Amino acid sequence: MNERDMNCETYRDAIAAEPAGDFAGGEEHAAGCADCRALRDELRALDERIARALALPVPDIELPELPELPGAGADKVVELRRRPRFGTPAWFGLAAGLALAAFIGLQLGRSGVDERSLADQVVAHLDHEPHSLVVTDVAVPERTLSSVVNRNEVDVAPGLGLITYARSCVINGRVIPHLVIQGEHGPVTLLLMPEEHVDAAIPLEGRAVNGVILPVGDGSVAIIGERDESLEQIEERVIDSVKWKT
Amino acid sequence: MTEQSAGKARRRRFDRLVATLHADLWRYTAWLSRDPQVAEEVVQETLLRAWKSLDSLREDAAAKPWLLTIARREHARYYERKRLETVDVDELTPAQAAMIADGHDTDTDDMRAAIFGLADEYREPLVLQVLMGYSAKEIAGLMDLKPGAVLTRLHRARLQLKARFDRDLGN
Repeated sequence: MNERDMNCETYRDAIAAEPAGDFAGGEEHAAGCADCRALRDELRALDERIARALALPVPDIELPELPELPGAGADKVVELRRRPRFGTPAWFGLAAGLALAAFIGLQLGRSGVDERSLADQVVAHLDHEPHSLVVTDVAVPERTLSSVVNRNEVDVAPGLGLITYARSCVINGRVIPHLVIQGEHGPVTLLLMPEEHVDAAIPLEGRAVNGVILPVGDGSVAIIGERDESLEQIEERVIDSVKWKT
Repeated sequence: MTEQSAGKARRRRFDRLVATLHADLWRYTAWLSRDPQVAEEVVQETLLRAWKSLDSLREDAAAKPWLLTIARREHARYYERKRLETVDVDELTPAQAAMIADGHDTDTDDMRAAIFGLADEYREPLVLQVLMGYSAKEIAGLMDLKPGAVLTRLHRARLQLKARFDRDLGN
């Protein structure tokens, strides 16, 4: 827009389309016109409210199963598959999330800011995927497991136990493997976090669940089972079976 | 580079993009569809498409508009498949109601409801400009419009929101 063309009408059209815009002659016009200046300030304030409203809280993301592609180390392409939807939330995820959230507020008072953030993410994520927590003796397909752990450059030895769920998920801004194994008292969630270092084990105990964020090498593994689940054996299996490739 | 290491590099690249952009992607599709459940499905499809065509993305700096373009197409496809009816603002699902009002801030909830009520043609450019920081020219490219048409829609969107809140205040 040419500065000579700027009048109240053109200024108001322009400022309503781009309140933060810096167009030719705009500032000069506003400086000399109280009404247009007031409209500009009003629209900029409106934009701040719009921006706050648009910034919806974002739920944890669960990545879909990604097919192997030619030229990416695979021998054939598999059919694209949508992640199944589960309409009914399982009791465990919600109960575990609530119980853990209540406990962590107390427990992490002794921990650092980063660890609180990590634990919060773990709890929030557990709540996001309640459908993963089912009692079953059906192992996750090898192709799925391989895709999830290989894409994150993690080695998982067979000694870990029966793996019944495997997905790639985002925790703390990083894509990590989310596995579920079967414990003595029900499903046990494992979040393998090769880049999340913790100095010492962080217990996550609650009324319904029993968990820990365990240091493993330079990373950590979150292990969360039911209240009566004995984690010691699972911790040993995790330490023996999970290796970071990097 | 071996085929295997190329595959791993490709996956690392994809993971980086997802970790960086998933919030923008989800918010864009949530406002596009006005339904968090639809947004989740569209995001899943978008990521699958993006994974398949990742090699067509030459520079990661261009990943955001690339991903949003895929999301926009997937959103359109979703409605073609499902043949869903237009959202009735007076008959929201619990998920839609929760999207508008999380109860933390009444003013923000009111503004979300007002944006929710905007016509698609006004809401989308507003989201792209205010939330994504896009210029009118960039929005025009994504929406296949002329920049002048984008500016008109942005102008009308704001005036509608302003009029609503002026009315509420009895101005």
